[in-house]
Amino acid sequence: MERETLRLLEMLNQLRLTEEQKEKVISFCNNREAALKALDAIDTENVERMVHVMPVLTVVREDIVSQPYTAEELQQGAPETDEGYWCVPKVME
Amino acid sequence: MKKIIVDDMLLTKDLPTTAGSKMLEGYMSLFEAEAISRLNGAGYTISGKAEVGEFAIDLICETNYKGAFVKKGKLASPVAEMLEGDAEAAVCMDVNGSVRRAAAQNSLVSIKPTYGTVSRFGTVPVACSGETVSVMAKSADNCEAVLSIIAGHDDKDGTSLSDEDCAKAKEVSPMRRIAVLGNMLKDTDLAVARKIEIFRENLAAKGIEVCEINSDVIAASSAAWNVLMCAELCNNVSRYDGVKYGYRAENFSGIDELYTNSRTEAFGELLKCAILFGSDTLSTENYMKVYDKSLRVRRVVSEAFNALFEQYDAVMMPACSSFDYSEDIEDTAVFEENYYTAPASITGLPAVVIDGVQLVGKAFSEGSLLAFAKEYEKEAK
Repeated sequence: MERETLRLLEMLNQLRLTEEQKEKVISFCNNREAALKALDAIDTENVERMVHVMPVLTVVREDIVSQPYTAEELQQGAPETDEGYWCVPKVME
Repeated sequence: MKKIIVDDMLLTKDLPTTAGSKMLEGYMSLFEAEAISRLNGAGYTISGKAEVGEFAIDLICETNYKGAFVKKGKLASPVAEMLEGDAEAAVCMDVNGSVRRAAAQNSLVSIKPTYGTVSRFGTVPVACSGETVSVMAKSADNCEAVLSIIAGHDDKDGTSLSDEDCAKAKEVSPMRRIAVLGNMLKDTDLAVARKIEIFRENLAAKGIEVCEINSDVIAASSAAWNVLMCAELCNNVSRYDGVKYGYRAENFSGIDELYTNSRTEAFGELLKCAILFGSDTLSTENYMKVYDKSLRVRRVVSEAFNALFEQYDAVMMPACSSFDYSEDIEDTAVFEENYYTAPASITGLPAVVIDGVQLVGKAFSEGSLLAFAKEYEKEAK
């Protein structure tokens, strides 16, 4: 993995690593790349992707409220709220 | 009143759920896991919640945000420790094999059921396509009693199988032929190798035919599972941003810094490695080469197991390379160590751990695996 790739991945995943952590992640990902060679050895020509291990159909149900929580209850774990809103820093100047 | 332990990946209404992460420190859920509701309905009470490693992807519990659980210089399993008390069993999330490793290292029994037979509703999602609610106990009888309560269809889980399918998992057929995966016997330490040897001798004494086989395909499960698990994990933990719930950094100058500082401060190093690796596998450059390839390898592995189950009733393999992990083992070692647990994780197949050894069975064979484990225990006594 290149350092520039890592910089983009950090940005995409909203993470910031120390220099030491960057070295660790690069080494980890490079080790993984070596392990991935085991996959190349497996012939998957004409093999379909297996997303679900069991046959799963798209599950639909009636649109009925089954868990009627109040806004107050749903916000009880929020770091900061104000009159039913979640608070974040100003996003527009 | 019968007592049960649950691990910290299952949501509880009256106790906090942290998933071993500072991100969820003090988090109280409004609802509880379906497995817990079913156990409460059957007269069980929760006697305690067991700590897990951060999002249960680690070896045993070493990445918990409060620190590793260590005994005599070795990593120890909090759930196994709690099972020394009077609880009948523990209900735990098997994300990356930690439940099976803990069972093998502590002479406990665990059953990872067929994917979809136990509801995942109310569990902290990490690697949704392979993780299962599992049971660990001092005896196979206790595992069976608890599994029979928590298994069954649940409308609230989109991957839950029908009651008809779940009922198949209770059927019992005898074990006559068992395959031993030779590839996996090469890198274990002496104690694990000896355990496997004794287990083989015991099977032979019971009249069960044991054949050693090799499968490079099954041995490649870990490489594919690491990709799928990390890709799913990277998406699942993207919800933790310090806004709606969970940890929020104290210092930030804008919304982007709020997200970044909160996640950077709250997530541990192993989790960050897994997120970034998972994200990389989903990049334009790697998606087809790595992620898509892993999904296809999953099918090849699944078919390899199905072919084996035409001839054998179960496939035997270790659950770990060693029964002791040193306290200073690298946290990333789990990505090598899941060599032994990834085959059942990636395929959703059931696996029982008994006497330190893992047996993987065909889909819906957990009834047979547990019946075998009960008989094995009885004879060992």
